[in-house]
Amino acid sequence: MSQTILLRERPPGARQLLMNGIFGENPVFRLALSLCPAVAVTTTVANGIMLGVAVLLVQVLSSVTVALTRKAIHPRVRIPVYTIIIAVWVSAIDMVLAGFFPSLYAQVGLYVKLIVAFAIIISRLEVFASRMPLIPTFWDGLGMGLGFLFALIVIGVFRELLGSGAILGYAVVPEKPLLFFALPAGGFFSIGLLMAFFNVIERWRNGGKASAGGGGGHGHG
Amino acid sequence: MSDVKPTVVPAAPSGELWRIVASMTATCAIGAAILGAIYIGTERYAEESRVRGERRAVSELLGLDEGARVLEVRQFLTPARDAVVYQRPAEVGAPGRELVFALDGTMLRDGALAGTPEEADAIREFHSLGRLFIAMREGVPAGFVAEGESRGYKNRIRFFVAMSADWKIAGVRVVEHEEDPGLGAEIATSWFQGQYVGRKLAAVPRLDVTRDPMPEDWRGALRARPGTAAGDWASRFGTLASREAEKPIYAVTGATISSRALTDGVRATILHFRRRWELIGPRLLEPGTREATK
Repeated sequence: MSQTILLRERPPGARQLLMNGIFGENPVFRLALSLCPAVAVTTTVANGIMLGVAVLLVQVLSSVTVALTRKAIHPRVRIPVYTIIIAVWVSAIDMVLAGFFPSLYAQVGLYVKLIVAFAIIISRLEVFASRMPLIPTFWDGLGMGLGFLFALIVIGVFRELLGSGAILGYAVVPEKPLLFFALPAGGFFSIGLLMAFFNVIERWRNGGKASAGGGGGHGHG
Repeated sequence: MSDVKPTVVPAAPSGELWRIVASMTATCAIGAAILGAIYIGTERYAEESRVRGERRAVSELLGLDEGARVLEVRQFLTPARDAVVYQRPAEVGAPGRELVFALDGTMLRDGALAGTPEEADAIREFHSLGRLFIAMREGVPAGFVAEGESRGYKNRIRFFVAMSADWKIAGVRVVEHEEDPGLGAEIATSWFQGQYVGRKLAAVPRLDVTRDPMPEDWRGALRARPGTAAGDWASRFGTLASREAEKPIYAVTGATISSRALTDGVRATILHFRRRWELIGPRLLEPGTREATK
């Protein structure tokens, strides 16, 4: 998807960029980026939602910042500069949450700090935000953030249901059906199974053509 | 993706180096300035909400009103690890108090604390042993909360243990942990922590963990327990609670290590506190303190 998007003369539209983030280049299921935190937090749906929303915020804010300042960033040190931009936003959100939303912070504080090292965020800055004007960059950041949030919810539902027999903490079945899926190894199995499923969806969206994960050029992290 | 070219940068002319340095330095300086400003703006609120959260946890554990008087005592180990220091910080209108004991229990010092910055500096190198909160009602202790730490599955678990004035466990509250969500993190739920409530001091040395499944009636009773005041819970489930009071703690399924870590920590914290209280209690509550409560 992104090949065609980036080579086009005019920047793509909002709808296309949003769909690209959620399906075509879904960070977890298609690009296979940031799998480690995706496995770590998705033992329950609620945890997945919290991390997903935090990533969504940081992705949009960092992408927009880079799009606005890209002319001023020296190309040789762009990666360290992106890292600092992400770190500033993450720390700012962390401090504001700790100061003004203590009960929310008690639940999400642990995850917010992790986001500095998220491969998906820095990869979108390098691949998209550093080459595109503000408006498309905003939609790309929003799409990627929503795609990550969507992926974490799907994995969370899958694992919480099978591992703990519950959805959002409400027991659906009395016992834990397959505790294995709540454990880290089970997380990778869940993602693998769901990734296969999303490959099928992507093939159907492309009219029967198989396509490799869209993120081949990003490096995996 | 191979047809998207990475940003190609030609080899740097030697004169370009300073611009790279300047660019990085400027970025870091701007970032630091933004974060510094946000820190100054939010630090006070973060500290306030942390203190408020702890106060609320203490009064909930002991079933106190929000306004109840709570003495806070800080405990430290000296850097040489040869003496334990207890400090009751100075408050408005009442000087603080400092008690120092050697490890064998002999008292080395009993003095006042004025609350000066020098005193705060002097204690900075000391190793914190957690805090004690003593709830006062009409000049006598109405309950105690001791802060404890234990090594969990991944990182330390910090918790509060509350004891009623008649030395029964009034509650356990995990305030900081990094156990796995869905597994070890279950030790921070009220139904797991409810298992400790009501156990007598005499039974605490035998407090242990079992991997046996929790009986269904007891599980239902623990889940029905309200978060703070017990209400009619005791009348509905009192017999069940007394049946379980002498039994081990039922471990969270798949998280025996975390369950054991908290239970071992709770046991050690209570037994330590009981021993310390005999040393420090009478002195901390001497007339000077009682006048200050009026």
